[in-house]
Amino acid sequence: MNTIQKKIFFLTSMIVVIMMGIWIALSIYIRQTHDQYNDILQRYLVLNEVNEDSQNLITDLNNYLYNPTPVNKMQIEERETKLQGMENQIWDLGHVENEFELVNYINLKDSLMATVERSVSLANQDDSEAAYQEFNEATRIANYIAQTKTSLVETELETYDVVYRGIIARSSEVNRFGIWLILLLTVVLIVFSYMLSRSITRPVIQLTEAANHLSMGHFDKAVEVDSNDELYFLAKTFNRMRLNINNLIQEIQKQAELEKELQENKLLLQESQFRSLQSQINPHFLFNTLNTISKKAYLEGSQETSDILVNVADLLRYNLKSVDRSVSLREEVTILDGYMEIQKARYTDRLVFIKDIDDSLLDVRIPALTLQPIIENAIIHSVETREEGGTVIFRIDKEEEFIKVEIEDDGPGMSEDMMSSLLEGAYVSKQGHSTGIGFVNVVKRVQLFYERHDLIQIESAPGSGTLIKLLIPKERGDSEHV
Amino acid sequence: MNKLLSLFTIIILGVLGYLTYISAEGILNAGWHEPLPLARDSQQFRLVLINQDSDTPFWDNVAKGAVKRAEEEGIMLEVLSNYGKNDDVFLSNLDLAIHSRVDGIIVQGLDQEAFKELTKVRAAFHSIPVITIAEDVPVEESLRRTYVGSDHFEAGRLIAEQLISDMGTAGKVAVLYDTNPHYYQKLRKEGVESVLRHYPDINLLSVETEPTKDKVMMATQNLLNNHPDALGFIAINADVTSGMVQEISRRKQVGPLFVYSFDDSTDIESLFNEAKLDAVVSQDPEKMGDWGVELLIEWLEGETVPLDFGGYFTPVTIIESKDKP
Repeated sequence: MNTIQKKIFFLTSMIVVIMMGIWIALSIYIRQTHDQYNDILQRYLVLNEVNEDSQNLITDLNNYLYNPTPVNKMQIEERETKLQGMENQIWDLGHVENEFELVNYINLKDSLMATVERSVSLANQDDSEAAYQEFNEATRIANYIAQTKTSLVETELETYDVVYRGIIARSSEVNRFGIWLILLLTVVLIVFSYMLSRSITRPVIQLTEAANHLSMGHFDKAVEVDSNDELYFLAKTFNRMRLNINNLIQEIQKQAELEKELQENKLLLQESQFRSLQSQINPHFLFNTLNTISKKAYLEGSQETSDILVNVADLLRYNLKSVDRSVSLREEVTILDGYMEIQKARYTDRLVFIKDIDDSLLDVRIPALTLQPIIENAIIHSVETREEGGTVIFRIDKEEEFIKVEIEDDGPGMSEDMMSSLLEGAYVSKQGHSTGIGFVNVVKRVQLFYERHDLIQIESAPGSGTLIKLLIPKERGDSEHV
Repeated sequence: MNKLLSLFTIIILGVLGYLTYISAEGILNAGWHEPLPLARDSQQFRLVLINQDSDTPFWDNVAKGAVKRAEEEGIMLEVLSNYGKNDDVFLSNLDLAIHSRVDGIIVQGLDQEAFKELTKVRAAFHSIPVITIAEDVPVEESLRRTYVGSDHFEAGRLIAEQLISDMGTAGKVAVLYDTNPHYYQKLRKEGVESVLRHYPDINLLSVETEPTKDKVMMATQNLLNNHPDALGFIAINADVTSGMVQEISRRKQVGPLFVYSFDDSTDIESLFNEAKLDAVVSQDPEKMGDWGVELLIEWLEGETVPLDFGGYFTPVTIIESKDKP
């Protein structure tokens, strides 16, 4: 992974390394040139030194001849030792070009020293004239030394002409090289800097664009960044944020929709409550009226009419109570009896109702209005639609830990699809029910009440009647649940 | 646009890189070769050739022959010469060579005391062999090992014989020579005289002159004034030839006269080409240089010891002018 820091570090260290390299190369070069100049200068210095010492030797000899003291003699000897010591240095200056003159130079120096020696020894022997002759000779030799030095220097200049020109040529070459190198480095660094800055700014620009998009509310465009550094992570994070925001917005939208629906539902509910209130007025009034009619019929001696009216009134009242309550099985059976009275009065002989009830099992609690819709269905399908009438059998029995309630009819029966759609609650009846509650409703309420799905079973086949079986768990029946 | 820019950048980088590379190569190759160091232990012979008149073709050729031979033998030879006649410089060169303790000296003989003192005393003191070249100094006076060069007596004879054959055996013949003649001039003069002596009808006029141009012209003028009928002219010292010819041609036609000289002067060639000289003695300077070096090496290596004191003579020939009537 390339980080921006790494990139910048790389660029700067590259610059530093290049600068160091140039500096080192330049130092080496300068040092080399310096050494060369030193060597060359040294040659001239050595040559000159011998010459100077020769002249000084003459002066010393002159002093000695005038004033032959041990001090002056010492000086001559010192000078000679020094000159002798320089011989090796002079030899080092030699090369094939100046060999002849150089050997001359050394030999002249030896001649000079020999002559000086002779002069000194002659002076010591008090032969001053001969000593002065030797002195003159020495002076001449010293002049030759100077002459030879000049010609040696000339030879040096000639011989080293190539070297000097080489040095000059090289230094101008170095200058040119420096210019090209600076230009090259400038361009290289500009390119690298440009690439570096671009690798930083381009993702930033892309991010900015993406941010602009987001700020304008376009959450669906993915954030894409051509980078492999921190900005890539930034972009990735940014993208995730975008996705999160997008999801959040969608959720909010969904919630808002739900809220709206809920609001609508609430309104509907209010309306339906209003409606039900409206319709509740009628049942009460109807109920009171029915009671009044029943009393009037009783007073007028019509016992049967009065009973029917009472049953109708009871059913109405039972129905008026909220459906969301549990009742004992006994209550259900009682209301069912009243209902059957009414139906019998209506269908007379067409309806045969057979009841087989174990009284000891009637204390369990079940949801209200569970049985009545089932019986009503049985009557509708087996009696109402058939001219010859039908039989409805109602049984309460026990089966293991359940209380088994069976309602059987001998109607036309139904298909498998019908049965499954009834049990899954997918079937919507078109026929109106007296209590406004259909079979599907019963199934759902039983499922909710017992939190089980296998309590209602249907056994039927087309043309062979229908048996609805309701299994009521005994334990559940003991506990109060409202 | 972007593609173009990067292409442009790449081209710039390439060009700059190439130029930098070329430049760097230039620096690395801008070396030089220092001269080879000296082998201190195996010293070769160091010889010097000392002469004057280094501006003359004659001495150029001597030096050429000597240098060539030295190169062949692989020894060092230094030519110490000075332009024109300058005895002081010449002698100090010789002195320098002696004090420098060279292994051998080939020197143009100079018939002077100072020269003899140097060769006889100084050189002998340091036991440096001296060979005279082209011009000799008697061995008794100089202690030279030998002499290499023309036989000047013979050269003089050749000139005189040529004069006789050109001019005939009668007439006035002027012989110009230096007031203080060098040994070789004496020899030439003797050579001339040794021939002309046999012809009694030839009147030999000896003219002494300083070898400077105006002095020569004056001497010639006097000669022509005193002897307007002089027919033959011999310049013993080649250097005086031009002055002599110039003065003669001012007074009369050079054509019918008989003018002779030697070839060891700068002016001779042009005078000869202008057909103002009837004949010159031609020497072999290159051979002199060559031989001188060879003999010196032979002596140093002990092959030929001692050298012939009488000298080694290089051939002399006479060249006649074809154009001159």
